[in-house]
Amino acid sequence: MGHFLLRHQTPMLLAVLLVLIAGATSLSSNEALQVTLTEMFIRVIVVVGLYVFIGNSGIISFGHIGFMCIGAYAAAWATAEPSFKQIMLSGLPAFLQEHQYPFLVATAGALLLAMAVAFVLGLAIMRLSGTAASIATFAFLIIVNSVYSNWDSLTAGVSSIIGIPTVVGSFTAYAFAALAILVAYLFQISRFGLMLRASRDDEVAARASAVKIMRVRLAAFVLSAGLVGIGGGLYAQFLGILTVDPFYLNLSFITIAMLVVGGMASLSGAVVGVVAVTAIVEILRLFERGVPIGGASLGLPQGSQEIGLGIVMALILIFRPNGLSRGREFAHFAGAPLPAPSTAAPVAPPASAPAARPEGIPITDERKAIV
Amino acid sequence: MIEPYVEPAAPGVDRGLTNASELAADKLVVRFQGLAAISDVSLKVQRHEVFGLIGPNGAGKTTLVNCLTGFQRPTEGRIILGGGDTAGWSASRFREQGVARTFQAGRLFKDMTVMENVEVTAAGLGASLRSARKHAKAMLGWIGLADKAALHAGALAYTDQRRLGIARALVLSPAFILLDEPAAGMSDAECEDLMELVASIPRTFTCGVLLIEHNMRVVMGISQRIHVLDGGRTIAEGTPDEIQRHEAVLAAYLGMEA
Ligand SMILES: Nc1ncnc2c1ncn2[C@@H]1O[C@H](COP(=O)(O)OP(=O)(O)OP(=O)(O)O)[C@@H](O)[C@H]1O
Ligand SMILES: [Mg+2]
Repeated sequence: MGHFLLRHQTPMLLAVLLVLIAGATSLSSNEALQVTLTEMFIRVIVVVGLYVFIGNSGIISFGHIGFMCIGAYAAAWATAEPSFKQIMLSGLPAFLQEHQYPFLVATAGALLLAMAVAFVLGLAIMRLSGTAASIATFAFLIIVNSVYSNWDSLTAGVSSIIGIPTVVGSFTAYAFAALAILVAYLFQISRFGLMLRASRDDEVAARASAVKIMRVRLAAFVLSAGLVGIGGGLYAQFLGILTVDPFYLNLSFITIAMLVVGGMASLSGAVVGVVAVTAIVEILRLFERGVPIGGASLGLPQGSQEIGLGIVMALILIFRPNGLSRGREFAHFAGAPLPAPSTAAPVAPPASAPAARPEGIPITDERKAIV
Repeated sequence: MIEPYVEPAAPGVDRGLTNASELAADKLVVRFQGLAAISDVSLKVQRHEVFGLIGPNGAGKTTLVNCLTGFQRPTEGRIILGGGDTAGWSASRFREQGVARTFQAGRLFKDMTVMENVEVTAAGLGASLRSARKHAKAMLGWIGLADKAALHAGALAYTDQRRLGIARALVLSPAFILLDEPAAGMSDAECEDLMELVASIPRTFTCGVLLIEHNMRVVMGISQRIHVLDGGRTIAEGTPDEIQRHEAVLAAYLGMEA
């Protein structure tokens, strides 16, 4: 039992980290801080979802916020006021228009719709090479954005969906964040996680190891879209009002930045990245509003938050190219053989290992020939 | 000294065409943008032998192995496993059906542990994680890497990396294993150690070996039959004795050294 806990300490440590942050912020009765906390937990769900695909497959996706949008609207369709839906969302099927579903049903809907769309999309793009797949996910984001902006009878177009019960607070968001961490961890240590990480390291060698790359990538893509979809569903039920605008470039970039800053090759990195970037943004915002020092108030000019975030992120990546986690998993207690991936070659090669190819092996362009 | 190998049971794993007794290339042609890398090559590897494949740089050896393992579609000709055509098979399908390979460039999963490198293949073949671990352990023991199982593959010494490549291919006993210059870059002593291991594969695993190796003395020493390529064409096939005396072979190799 003790051994089991040691072995699998990472997800528990991450959940505890989030509890500690929640505890620290609850010392202040600041309303805005509670909102920030809830938003942060929702972003943990989204970025952990992103990590399930990006971290394990090594393929960047720019499109996952599209799944967040899909999840958010699915939840809104299920929970918004029927009177509003009948007038404004005339295109909805009757079972949605006439009823108002509880939180868990709406969240399950967000999960399932995001996964269904990801499955169909994934069938098409998982056979592409890494870069082509990344571009295709970006195209997907644009398509989702324009469909949801213009399909007035389902999304109320550029006006918003209102009357969504705001049942999601920091506790619910935390519970789902912890669940997302657990799911991501279980995937990572599963057979599928193992095969997918192998394909990230060397796709050609993975095929020689009987790995069906398309299948394992698709599984990760669907699972990760599901988690991000849940994040969207919670977000809608946190805001109470929904428009398409937040689910676009800004959020895509900030979530990817969170993953990169934390270290995209580890689950710990995903969680730490969200916490770190949220903290940086909040501190900069504080200074933008002005901090009283003595009699005067020290304030940064408007817009310095974005600039400051950019600078801090650049610095982190200069000094920790593999992110804050260095691509490793948290393991506070010794003696845990880590089942988690750790890219970034943390182990220094012994002196006897040749740094370069030994002579006699021709360097071949790998894109051209398989050697 | 080679460790004995005791293969664990493998419930739920499809062992592919484990009864295939022959892997053959039939009138193979491969052209890259009109340039012929392989021209009309036919050969047969038997399940019980070490089959040497030699030839100067650029002779087409790797291209041939790529064809035999599903990484390269032949322009013409067929690959036949156990009498059946393999047209349209993916590389992972070849491994599932019992044709394994290593890579000249190594291609280990560098950010994974030594153990995980071998587990991947077992998992790819359908083994549960628990069973994959058992097989990986047995294989690492046999190949002499048991004490390095927890290291990162990228941190291994060079000769150990080459061994790991073989272990990864050989787990769950394929019917054939194709080794693309497994001893490249090794010293003579290291090479000899490795070749002792390679020579024992057919008996230990009932697995035919196709071996690409530049060191003539070594290939002659462990192969039952040898196939010689030059410029994508077969210039000879026969026992080591026959090859050593073959005029075209001598010319190709002397020509290379001149
Ligand atoms: N994908 C490819 N596209 C174009 N040309 C290729 C490709 N793969 C191999 N070739 C060419 O085919 C020829 C045979 O190459 P191959 O790698 O099979 O030789 P080899 O016998 O393995 O040589 P070496 O001993 O150097 O490993 C070479 O001229 C090579 O440049
Ligand atoms: Mg070669």
